[in-house]
Amino acid sequence: MRESSTVPEDVKQRLNWLLIFVIICFSILVISLWYLQMIKGEEFKERAVENCIRSLVEDAPRGRIYDRQEELLVTNRPAVVVSIIPAEVDDLEKLSERLSRIISISPEEISQIVKNYRENPFKPVKILDDCKTNKIVEIEERKDELKGVVLEVKPRRDYLYHDFAAHSLGYVGEIDKEELQRFGNPKFQGGDIIGKAGLEKYYDDILRGEKGGKEVEVDALGQEIATLLYQKPVPGKDLVLTIDKDLQLFGENLFFGKKGSIIVSDPNSGEILALVNRPSFNPNIFANGISNSNWQRLSSDADYPLTNRSVQGVYPPGSIFKVVTAIAALEEGVTDRKRKIYCSGSLELAGQVFTCWKETGHGSLSIVDAIAHSCNIYFYTLGKDLGIERFNKYMQKLGLGEKTGIDLPAEAVGIIPSAQWKEREVKEIWFPGDTINLSIGQGYLLLTSLQVHNLITTIATEGEIYKLHLVKKIISADGKTVKEIKPEIYKKVDFSPDTFQIIKEGLRQTILKGTGWRANIKELAIAGKTGTAQNPQGETHAWFIGFAPYENPEVCITVFIENGGEGGEAAAPIARAMLEKYFNIEN
Amino acid sequence: MKEKLDRLTENLDFSLLFAVLFLCFYALLVLYSSTRLATTEGGDPYFFVKRQSLWALLGFIFLTIIIFIDYHNLERYSKVIYFGAIILLIMVIFAGRSTYGARRWLAIGPFDFQPSEFAKIALIAFLADFLSKNKPKLDNFFYYLLPFAYTGLLILLVFMQPDLGTSLVYLAILIIMLFVVGVKIKYLVFTFLAALFSIPVLWIFLKDYQKNRLILFLNPNLDPLGGGYNVIQSRIAIGSGGFLGNGIFSGLQSQLNFLPAQHTDFIFSVVGEELGFVGTILLLGFYAIILWRGIKIALEARDLLGSLLAAGAVSFLFFHIVVNIGMAMGMLPATGLPLPFLSYGGSFMISNLMVIGILLNVELHKVKW
Repeated sequence: MRESSTVPEDVKQRLNWLLIFVIICFSILVISLWYLQMIKGEEFKERAVENCIRSLVEDAPRGRIYDRQEELLVTNRPAVVVSIIPAEVDDLEKLSERLSRIISISPEEISQIVKNYRENPFKPVKILDDCKTNKIVEIEERKDELKGVVLEVKPRRDYLYHDFAAHSLGYVGEIDKEELQRFGNPKFQGGDIIGKAGLEKYYDDILRGEKGGKEVEVDALGQEIATLLYQKPVPGKDLVLTIDKDLQLFGENLFFGKKGSIIVSDPNSGEILALVNRPSFNPNIFANGISNSNWQRLSSDADYPLTNRSVQGVYPPGSIFKVVTAIAALEEGVTDRKRKIYCSGSLELAGQVFTCWKETGHGSLSIVDAIAHSCNIYFYTLGKDLGIERFNKYMQKLGLGEKTGIDLPAEAVGIIPSAQWKEREVKEIWFPGDTINLSIGQGYLLLTSLQVHNLITTIATEGEIYKLHLVKKIISADGKTVKEIKPEIYKKVDFSPDTFQIIKEGLRQTILKGTGWRANIKELAIAGKTGTAQNPQGETHAWFIGFAPYENPEVCITVFIENGGEGGEAAAPIARAMLEKYFNIEN
Repeated sequence: MKEKLDRLTENLDFSLLFAVLFLCFYALLVLYSSTRLATTEGGDPYFFVKRQSLWALLGFIFLTIIIFIDYHNLERYSKVIYFGAIILLIMVIFAGRSTYGARRWLAIGPFDFQPSEFAKIALIAFLADFLSKNKPKLDNFFYYLLPFAYTGLLILLVFMQPDLGTSLVYLAILIIMLFVVGVKIKYLVFTFLAALFSIPVLWIFLKDYQKNRLILFLNPNLDPLGGGYNVIQSRIAIGSGGFLGNGIFSGLQSQLNFLPAQHTDFIFSVVGEELGFVGTILLLGFYAIILWRGIKIALEARDLLGSLLAAGAVSFLFFHIVVNIGMAMGMLPATGLPLPFLSYGGSFMISNLMVIGILLNVELHKVKW
């Protein structure tokens, strides 16, 4: 029944070859599957889980900042960020075109931003920060034709008074690469907002709070299916400053158009009531992510608006340093209440002629009068008699050349010249003439306003220097006081009561009949000292330091005007205005 | 008729039929897993499964019909079948329904069908008849080129849809059948080289998306969101299955929709993820049985026509299996070829079962009745 097959032999042979080919191909498939599933299986399993588990970060609201009367200075406001989720976009060109009609960014730029981002297609790519309300409304209305566009609400730092106390408050910004490396995971991730300057930086740990977040399972469209884990963010704590908003604002207005700083503090606690720095800047422009042009403008400004002059600037103190010379001389017995020195207008010392600012001379002066009239000749003589070694000892005691420890970052230390210092830095020996210059606050000497301020505080309190600080207390988001900053002794100096008495008298006389007369207020006993510091940058710096009331001082003030001219003419009236404001005196 | 049925039960290759039946049920399970969460009208989780079952049933009817028509009838009707396919493909170009920028479907009442699928069967039938009649003449190179012309016409028509994948299937069927019929190896080598050198020319005619697919095959990470996305997700899915898989209905990638086209072109990835190495090897094993039985049927056929029909059927299935699985694993470019018996799709399911019908037909007629 069955006939033999008529299939040719060569066909059968070819069919056998086909069978072999099929076997080879299947073997390759099996080996590949073995590799993919058995060898690489675990690795792919992880990737699969990563694929559908997303960690969403919920930022903690940053702590607010209040002034000493608990008036709000810095807060957060919701800012709307316009983003695009690449994975949800069907036609990028079309979408860019449509979005471009609403927000003023060119379609090319929009598609470029999206294309350049290649990390995670489900993560929104920021297109426009801080979108205006009318545009938000328009985007919401056209949601249907803008598939892939999302609006995210992010807390944005809001400095309510713009350039008010900008250097003290500082600003925030996105963490940069270097900071990320330094502080690193897991505390920070890229894109985090951290304090970059001022109190924002110094108290970043307190203000920042703790990020919360959740792990969610998402599908391929990035839609959340389930929340696996939720961690509530812990809001940052609030700062109550020692700054008095009104006084600060008053000082800033007085200083409008000037360069320099004003420090007003309570000598009995170290609380800073006003810390004026001019010129200033608006920290809000950092909060919005500073634009390149803004950054260029600020950082290349010849007046250095970003520099906190009172903390980071170092300047020759000029005649206000005579207070230090006086202290050293009195303590070392080089002079006393009775010693009189004759000022003819000039003095030859160590083969050099040194002049007094008053060419006709002051005549015969006691130390109290010498302070009041700021006689150079008197202090030259003291300096010469003291010698640099003994002189240095007192500078050290007073904390000059050291940080004051204020709660602000990047404090400068200045320069306290000594014989060793000169040899090391200038490669020259110390000449007696250097001591002469130093005795009136010139020469190599450079101090920060804060150090100068500590000097006047020392006199006011007769030896107790409290650490200068800007934060009065830390309160939690629900208003409970977490920490009260207690006054802390920075330095205690044990000069004799006589020394303080003589210097105080000198400072009082300065106001009553000396160089500081422009600071005089009938209703208030002020003590102070002016300074006019020569400097290589041009016009002299004007200084004024003082305290009031004379008995039981409540407040110390330092006024510094960069290239401001004469201390008595430029700085003293500012100090008077500040004190009038502080003591509510009508003029 | 009774005699015929007796012979049927006597001669039918039950292992082949069993493998096919198994695959059909396997497919329904995996299909259910990958589509039960899909949003369809009415939210019926069995929507795709029901439809696919219907196609399979229809396919078995076609299979049965094919078994009972002696393949020797082809000696008279092969040209009719061939031109019928040509006409249908031309109709697609003018009257077809288009989706995703390709015109592939013809509507018959409420159903759409894909003539290019049935053209595969037509091509196998036509080439088997043509080659078996002209075997001695194929030593002549110009005669050797003639089947290329016939096939080329079909390729051109599906290429216009455009459907690169299917035109490659036609080409694969032709080459394998030519190889089996015994043309000179040097002719085939020559053809291969000619094709290689004509690639730059063909490149010009490729659509942008086709060019992209080839580029992305070479480096899928170039565009992880766009064209490369499928392949990356598919590899993750298969790989993450491990030995035993995540369990049916439990594939992260499949259930959360990370896998695109997971019930059609990328169904293998669902098998890989949910059923693991065991599941994929099982699948490959049954394919191996089908192909092995197919080649065995070709070897034992009564005559050259039967042998070539079986070889054509095997080449069709073989090419689809290797290209689809290779694509899912990222070893071959994404050509959009479905996986026999597994991928969702009516025309494809029916043509798969028709091809099995051809194999059983040849098997059944290896003895004279």
